Amino acid sequence: MKKITLSALFLILATAFILPVIATIATSFYGERNFTLQNYTDLLFDAFAFYPAFWNSLLYAGVIVIVQLFVVIPCAFGFANASFKGKGILFIFYIILMMMPLQVTILPNFIGLRDLGLIDTRLAVILPAIFSPFGVVVINQYMQGMNNSIIEAARLETNSIIKIIFHTVIPQVKICIFAVAVFIFAESWNMLEQPMLFLRSTNLQNLSVFISESGSYAGNILFPASVFFFIPVLILYSFFNNYLEKGLTFGELAK
Amino acid sequence: MRFLRKLKSWNMKCIYLLIPSLAGTFIFFVIPFVRVIYYSFIDNQFRRNFVGLDNYVQTFQNEFFQLALQNSLLLIVICIPVLILLAIIISLVLSYGIKTLRKTRAAFILPMLIPTASVAEIWRLVFTGETVLPVYTLFIWKNIGICVILLTAALTAIEPEIFEAAKMDGAKGIKLHKRISVPLILPTIIFTILLSIVNSFRVFKESYLFYGTNYPPSHSYTLQFYMNNNFLKLDYQALATSSVYTMILVIILVLVCFGLQRRYSR
Repeated sequence: MKKITLSALFLILATAFILPVIATIATSFYGERNFTLQNYTDLLFDAFAFYPAFWNSLLYAGVIVIVQLFVVIPCAFGFANASFKGKGILFIFYIILMMMPLQVTILPNFIGLRDLGLIDTRLAVILPAIFSPFGVVVINQYMQGMNNSIIEAARLETNSIIKIIFHTVIPQVKICIFAVAVFIFAESWNMLEQPMLFLRSTNLQNLSVFISESGSYAGNILFPASVFFFIPVLILYSFFNNYLEKGLTFGELAK
Repeated sequence: MRFLRKLKSWNMKCIYLLIPSLAGTFIFFVIPFVRVIYYSFIDNQFRRNFVGLDNYVQTFQNEFFQLALQNSLLLIVICIPVLILLAIIISLVLSYGIKTLRKTRAAFILPMLIPTASVAEIWRLVFTGETVLPVYTLFIWKNIGICVILLTAALTAIEPEIFEAAKMDGAKGIKLHKRISVPLILPTIIFTILLSIVNSFRVFKESYLFYGTNYPPSHSYTLQFYMNNNFLKLDYQALATSSVYTMILVIILVLVCFGLQRRYSR
């Protein structure tokens, strides 16, 4: 009996957590009093700023994920295999940088971008995100469990470290790479402060900013826009959800 | 020749791999941050007089900074214990509970991936009136996912033999987990506390999207609003100083966390 009550309580808790998503979908089809597609037609046929915003979100998140992986995987491997003075301290620096909240890093990012003349360009939101230390730390942590004898064997066959990474390292850590990619995609897809502060032109803004300003458009377009906003994330989750716990195992950094 | 060979060695190649990441980190984080520290010691962008710790004292005495700091600390003290306790219970159920309950996993993981902007409107429909509740619940809703993921990963890593032995000794149910699982994943619990505190500094996004303004009711005016408003006013001195304050706080937290993790490590 006690078990059933506890289970029911847990199910209620789970429902409460998923409810905002379901409620958003339900409300998007809700008119004055009945089911309607009016909100969707208002969004798709009248709020034309929605399209560039959606495209920008997709472009920013896509480019950030792909380029970041090319920076982060070699770097994580380098940290795992190189030996030099100060490596430990350099890695702790990466961990501390990873833990820095956005509000600390956003001013340095802004200054760096301003000096390079990149404010109000697409690169302003893309470049700093590419060099986020998160992937380096998490993938490096995961690489501690790698089978090094395969890499040793590959070193006898080829001199190219890039080839070794592609053929022997990536297959071993791909679960972690998928998990990191999903995480980075969600972060970039969700970003709000960077476009708000680094971009001025409306045609460069992403969906977060569009939605936060959508009160200025006619009709109730907020809910259908929100639905379109989380569809890509739901798709990603349905493909990769099993990798998340297996890949994001960085809970014990101090070890 | 020896020098050339050294440049081509495996170790050097591994070091070269760090260069792209290091270059970007220096251009967008380290070098500009040195300038941020410099800004925090001068009177303004144009005169550039060195003023020592004046900016630090001024920021600390600023009433909005104090309000923001108070609200940020209150959020940590109230929300983090709730968040972590919930996360531990949820992870235990998802790992050891009955099958039906395990299927609810997505409900807890999805919020961390879902854009805050897309649910802010629902929150506005549900929460009316002047309380801190909407931002607190949004924070917990948004942050439970990563805690559950990290804790479940740690629980999965526990060897089954440990449970067998404990069961032989007569422990079972909640007691078993309280005595065995939770202490074993303590290092990860400590890390999720750190991560959540750091993420609580980021609650600006949730708050901003909920209130739709840079000037929320005073109970929800947190550090990030203070910093964001100084960003919009281009008050680099105030901004730089609060950046440095936050940075020092985060470094202390990270080091404390690592110290604790080492201590409670298996």
